[in-house]
Amino acid sequence: MRFITMDVTKCVVCRNCEYACSFQQTGDFRREDSNIRVEYYDDVKICLPQTCMHCDNAWCLEICPAAAITRNETTGAIEIDSERCAGCKMCILACPFGNIHFDKVNLVSRKCNLCEGEPNCVSFCISGALQYTNSQNLYRDNREIFQRFVENLSKEIK
Amino acid sequence: MQIVIIGNSAAGLSALEAFRKKDRSSSVTIITKEEERPYSKVLLPYYLRGKVPYKNLFIRDKDYYARLDAKCVKGKVVELLPEQQAVLLENGTRLSYDKLLIATGSSPVKPPIPGLSGKGIYHLWTVADVCNLAPYFKQGKRVVVLGSGFVSVQGAWAAVFKGLNVSVIELMPRVLPRVLDDHAAALLAGRMKKSGVDLRVDTLCQKVERTNDGEFVLHFKDGDSLTSDFIIVGTGVRPNIDFAAGTGIRIDAGIVVDKQMQTTLPGIYAAGDVAQVPSTFGGDPVVHALWPTAVETGSIAGTCMAQGKSCYRGSLNMNVTQMFGITVASMGQFMDVEGSESWIDESLPQDQYLKIVLREGVPIGATCAGGSDLISTLGMLRPMIREKVRLQGEPEMLKAILARNIAQHQRGFVK
Repeated sequence: MRFITMDVTKCVVCRNCEYACSFQQTGDFRREDSNIRVEYYDDVKICLPQTCMHCDNAWCLEICPAAAITRNETTGAIEIDSERCAGCKMCILACPFGNIHFDKVNLVSRKCNLCEGEPNCVSFCISGALQYTNSQNLYRDNREIFQRFVENLSKEIK
Repeated sequence: MQIVIIGNSAAGLSALEAFRKKDRSSSVTIITKEEERPYSKVLLPYYLRGKVPYKNLFIRDKDYYARLDAKCVKGKVVELLPEQQAVLLENGTRLSYDKLLIATGSSPVKPPIPGLSGKGIYHLWTVADVCNLAPYFKQGKRVVVLGSGFVSVQGAWAAVFKGLNVSVIELMPRVLPRVLDDHAAALLAGRMKKSGVDLRVDTLCQKVERTNDGEFVLHFKDGDSLTSDFIIVGTGVRPNIDFAAGTGIRIDAGIVVDKQMQTTLPGIYAAGDVAQVPSTFGGDPVVHALWPTAVETGSIAGTCMAQGKSCYRGSLNMNVTQMFGITVASMGQFMDVEGSESWIDESLPQDQYLKIVLREGVPIGATCAGGSDLISTLGMLRPMIREKVRLQGEPEMLKAILARNIAQHQRGFVK
């Protein structure tokens, strides 16, 4: 299984990935149509690209009241079926990383689907911050990393 | 082992799925008094609005039970016989169990208003209800919605969307009284009125009359009255526990369970809207009657019934919806309580609102009204509320704090 890793120490906030994603989704270049989002936080000096982690035990998938979220057996991507999505936003509230967005035109949630196994954002990343990584034991890692994430939450911000 | 699950909604389904992950050999029977094909109550107002087609109300395919090697029986459980380890159905069938899950959900309550029954007066709770309501959802019809809980307001929005004349009557001083605080409710109420809803809070309906033309006239305590073609009653729900009365099972606001979803009777579990479960904040157990809580508690029950180890970390109430062009949400203890302090994001424009409630620096709840980005913020706060983690800095730094948390998480994946 592969997924996109984001190296915050390499990202330069060029936003190429946002435009690449938007183009892939809509054929146009609008940041708000991108499923990957990049922000620069001046106070803490962080360049932060963010896209779906395709979690093991994905909570968005489990609690979707419309059964619109499934895992693609081929790519491993957690995907939203826009035909089934009712637009209730429960998945947006469920995601601990803020990686699900709302399509204001079609009134449905949307998120990264790994571009059927060839993520466009990674192809156009100029700094190497985004990698489409082959991780045999992603699932075990994912859980451990989340545990560490939770432990880190209590450290004072610098 | 014989497993019986009463109910095939969120809790029953996730229990079955969790059970089968641990146990492929035991026989499982699911009893439902409604449709055999599981459907989602959450989607019903969306169906009335025309957003979700009828076929998409059903959230499992037709091979579902076969695939999970479970048998679905249609029937209503009328009696629980714990000493004989059996349940009795209305049609006389007796089903024995080694382990039983009660996931019977809840039913709407009708307030004691004279005249409030018969054709043209419906709840918005089951597929049967929306089938009754759908023919009324035509341009120009007049509807009165009694109550302004989540389902009611969504029903009202569906009606506005379809071009009906809509009145919403709420007994309390604000809409969504259990889900929003005053300010968020005021923002939503403003949008509702702007959409043409005749919204009346602090209003008590005392009597409903049916005219010879088949119209309804609602009489209010303040002397006012209102004429309508049909009425939607959404004034709260109560757990479906009648069949368990007199068995000695502990019932408070719902069937009381421990962290394994075990009731006070051996071999009997409860989950979902019917269960009174531990809260994430400790203290008294709660009946949240929410879809996410039903999914979580059902899954814990299923795992424990299959002798697996699982322990509930407590229900954290969370609500979200988009209607009347605004998104509203709340989570945890979003009302100010003794010893809490709240922070309101002053940087937001007038028509947006975000409030975080903290106790000794630990976020315990939040509420918002505005756009989807605010919902993402609530989502990112959820692990902190659940894990009782102090906000690592002043709330003014919220965005930076959350960004740092996520960056920390992402670093973990990079070699």
